[in-house]
Amino acid sequence: MYNYDFLTALKIEDALYYLDRLEKVKILAGGTDLIVNIHKKSSRLPHFDYLLDISNIEELKFIALKKQFLEIGSLITHTQLIEDTLIAKYFPILKFAAQTIGSPQIRNRGTIGGNIVNASPAADLLPPLIALKARVELVSPGGKRELTLTEFLSGPYQTKLQENELLTTIKIPLLNEGYLANFQKIGRRKSLAIARLSLALVTRIDSENIFQDSRIVPGSATPYPQSFPVTEGAVNGKRTTDLNLEEIGEIIAKEMISITGKRWSTPYKSKALSALVIRALKEFISKAGTK
Amino acid sequence: MKKIKINLTINGKKITLKVNPQERLIDTLRDRLKLTGTKEGCSIGECGACTVILNGKAVASCLVFTAQIDGSKILTVEGLEVGGKLDPLQQAFLDHHAVQCGFCTPGMLMSAKALLLKNPHPTREEIKTALEGNLCRCTGYEQIIEAIESVTKD
Ligand SMILES: Cc1cc2nc3c(=O)[nH]c(=O)nc-3n(C[C@H](O)[C@H](O)[C@H](O)COP(=O)(O)OP(=O)(O)OC[C@H]3O[C@@H](n4cnc5c(N)ncnc54)[C@H](O)[C@@H]3O)c2cc1C
Ligand code: FES
Ligand code: FES
Repeated sequence: MYNYDFLTALKIEDALYYLDRLEKVKILAGGTDLIVNIHKKSSRLPHFDYLLDISNIEELKFIALKKQFLEIGSLITHTQLIEDTLIAKYFPILKFAAQTIGSPQIRNRGTIGGNIVNASPAADLLPPLIALKARVELVSPGGKRELTLTEFLSGPYQTKLQENELLTTIKIPLLNEGYLANFQKIGRRKSLAIARLSLALVTRIDSENIFQDSRIVPGSATPYPQSFPVTEGAVNGKRTTDLNLEEIGEIIAKEMISITGKRWSTPYKSKALSALVIRALKEFISKAGTK
Repeated sequence: MKKIKINLTINGKKITLKVNPQERLIDTLRDRLKLTGTKEGCSIGECGACTVILNGKAVASCLVFTAQIDGSKILTVEGLEVGGKLDPLQQAFLDHHAVQCGFCTPGMLMSAKALLLKNPHPTREEIKTALEGNLCRCTGYEQIIEAIESVTKD
């Protein structure tokens, strides 16, 4: 049995007040990761004296279009990502990724902020958000800071979030003309780890049909989701008609192994990852061809 | 551990409770209010037996602390029957043999009800998506989907 007091914040200000004055405070949003961990007495859960419920902070429930960014409040649920018209218009890749998460019951409670801060290797919003170069805004009693997701994530289930910080906003830079995005997932989160894999791919095909600015981020392939710069480099600068898909498939598998080393799941995962990247690129090439 | 005062409307009835920080919605329903129609299976969000409708949306009541939902409206399986008359979904489950051991039934009904509240004429695919989080070890799902379809076709 854990022994803790329950704190309710209805405003960001309230949450910061508690984070400033108390120690060993654990933030609770939708609870779909945290309540499971409390129930299982997970060793991943550090000791805490206070559970700070932020799930009713209305200020953190928004999706807004700014000049250069789409901004998403950290308490937006997976269901809201699926149903929102701005998401559908600017970043349908996030809608597709959210649709693959758990079940309606989980999507109705689980939040984008919780998915990011939990930092699971299998967190489904992380690969598309990293590929979209999303930034997180962290607020503490001392002020604000902004990090890219790549800077924020520091290991499996680990981030650079400080004890007194609250993730308030996710900022995604708008994409210019010519960008394409694709998300694929095989296996379910709860299926055997070997069968689980996803891939987010964002790229631009320029007026001469050349790939530019590719961002390739697999999920459940590495200890935590990260971009694959070698594979990105191998795609960039190639004309859609000249790209050797089989070769890209081999490069991405090698890059995965360079990060994880050889594991029992490697033979399956390298084949599956190659297939995912080839499928995504083929789709882009056929789209570019029809323009 | 300080207790937290909470107001809820459950199946149309207003109540005030003092809960401890560990109390999950399923504990409040089953242990305190004796609304034992809602079942607890896995306790970790995977089986759907504990599904209730919270402010119009299906949720797993094993993954909600009651202290989080002050001021909320909750519909449980006990609230489906109105004036002694079964909800059309309940009648359809009976007519289509969608109940065997019955353990999953309250959760199935609440997931189906949440879907129909939002979308009275769902496609078969939409029905399947709505039931993604509800496991049934007995029926093979077919009769359950047919029962729901029968209600949506009038
Ligand atoms: C049955 C089941 C199936 C699932 N399936 C999937 C799946 O397919 N794909 C997937 O990606 N995930 C899945 N999940 C995991 C989970 O639903 C998601 O990761 C969810 O987005 C977590 O959000 P939450 O609001 O519930 O987080 P919580 O559980 O409330 O919090 C998670 C962590 O984030 C911290 N936190 C939350 N919000 C903030 C904030 N604003 N600032 C600072 N810290 C914060 C908490 O302290 C905690 O450490 C599943 C979970 C269950 C139970
Ligand atoms: S008991 Fe809640 S989902 Fe299984
Ligand atoms: S009827 Fe037995 S679990 Fe569904």
